[in-house]
Amino acid sequence: MTLLTVTDATVRFGGLVAVNNVSFETEPGKVRALIGPNGAGKTTLFKAIAGEEELESGTIRFQDQEIQTLTPHEISERGVRRTFQTGGLFGELTALENVLAGLHTQVPSSLGGLLINSKHAKQVEKEATEKAHHLLEMMGIPHVAEQWARDLSGGQQRMVEIVRALATDPPLLLLDEPAVGLAPPVRLELLKIIRRLVEEENIGVILIEHAIEFVMTVSDTIMVLNNGEVIADGAPEEIRQDKEVLEAYLGR
Amino acid sequence: MTLNRNVFWIIPLLLLALPLVLNQYLQYVVNLILVYILVGVGFNIVVGNLGQLAFSNVAFFGIGAYASGMLTYHLGWPWWTTVIPAGLFGALAGCAASIPALRGVRLFYLAIMTLAFGELMRWAYIRVPGTGGSMGLAVPEPVGFGLGDSAWVMTTEYQKFYVFLFIVVVVVIAASRLLESRFGRAFLAIKNDELAAAAMGIPTGKYFLLAFALSGFIVGIGGAMYAALGLHLSPEDFDLIQVILHFAIIMVGGIGSLIGSILGSSLIVAVPEVIRHFEWLVGSEEWIFGVAIIAVILFLPRGLSSLLAKLHPIFKDRYYRK
Repeated sequence: MTLLTVTDATVRFGGLVAVNNVSFETEPGKVRALIGPNGAGKTTLFKAIAGEEELESGTIRFQDQEIQTLTPHEISERGVRRTFQTGGLFGELTALENVLAGLHTQVPSSLGGLLINSKHAKQVEKEATEKAHHLLEMMGIPHVAEQWARDLSGGQQRMVEIVRALATDPPLLLLDEPAVGLAPPVRLELLKIIRRLVEEENIGVILIEHAIEFVMTVSDTIMVLNNGEVIADGAPEEIRQDKEVLEAYLGR
Repeated sequence: MTLNRNVFWIIPLLLLALPLVLNQYLQYVVNLILVYILVGVGFNIVVGNLGQLAFSNVAFFGIGAYASGMLTYHLGWPWWTTVIPAGLFGALAGCAASIPALRGVRLFYLAIMTLAFGELMRWAYIRVPGTGGSMGLAVPEPVGFGLGDSAWVMTTEYQKFYVFLFIVVVVVIAASRLLESRFGRAFLAIKNDELAAAAMGIPTGKYFLLAFALSGFIVGIGGAMYAALGLHLSPEDFDLIQVILHFAIIMVGGIGSLIGSILGSSLIVAVPEVIRHFEWLVGSEEWIFGVAIIAVILFLPRGLSSLLAKLHPIFKDRYYRK
């Protein structure tokens, strides 16, 4: 069963073809990594999947529905959630509120209900808050709940961002350089969390990452992009041996 | 004993006794503060919570005031029945003002476009038939409630005060509930990172529209109160000085803070009056006022609400940031 199918996706910025005819699939319970040099088109491809960049041609299907014409919030609502390379967290909200913002679509309180402080509005807010606390606890960071997101350490911020993305139990998670700036023990912890998510929760993960050892350990398959084109796609061991990849990215 | 927010009810309850100690003029000043509390609360939603540099607030204020004034003057509606319509006209203006933002206009470009909207409305107050043109519009004595023979006309500042206080308490409670809910979180999420907000399933366009409409509604109601307070509207009441005044209110009070909007409007409206009270200071109002604003912003960049928050956690506005 495939979760996401990208077919002949092309994204162009004026004269520059950032993503050129890229096709790939991803499955639930697997980690698929995207690697390649800077400017290879990885983040652009991510953005296209999340609805932030328009495809010039090609299709993106998620759970058998075409999503390339949808807006980012519609794609998020369907279950494709992402984290960001930098920033991304809402600094003026606490960690808990960040997760609650992640749960936005699952807090069905109406404007009228809130104004009259209805029982239903209070109930849904209470349930969402309990769920957000529970999620932070599962990720081992219950103590940061009431702290402003911008005051958290880099590692904590990354964890909160992942919790926030996972809050709605999405089938597909896009992680944009999750390991960047993390100390080795935190990286290891992140690696364990990602593996747990795919193995126990059957979530599909696509991740962009430059930390090559991290990628080799966490991924089931790796796709290598260069100048917007796929130059290799396979298991970590195959990629490590691939001549073209060695030349374009990994180095000899 | 830990205090809970219900203690805030003491404030309006204590205020109920104000007419016992104030003369008509001071009561007028307090009423004006109540008007500007709504102006500040509404403005803060767009600037402080949604994080947009939009200065269409004066347009909402003027539209609300003229809507109320014209409905009472031309159609003979009792003032109290014009309050919600004035809010709705303000909300409509809010929807119109959100169009550039919805089309992706941000920062200085949005600031200039929304300023232009305010100036355009000033032209409308002069040219649109029924507004009284540059001579202005005389607003009939406001009816606080009741119809026809049983109409209760508010002839004194004290009567207006009780009606205004009621409106302000209702609006502030409603705004506080909304800003502490998923709506408030969505506004702040958009302010912090629009793209990430959308990636969390927040329909950002809808929330832009909502924030502007809500802001317009609240400020429009403030406009209706302004019409009832001064009994005369003129296009000059809604000029660029007002833009600066509104901005000063939220800067001095605390951007994004509900308590700040209340503190800011109280100070900005009261200080010039206090200065006028001392004979030896007369003539120095402008520079004292200017220096006071600069001093607050310089020494309390988070506004007066940050000072209050240090006194007791109960004053720690949900949206106050250290």
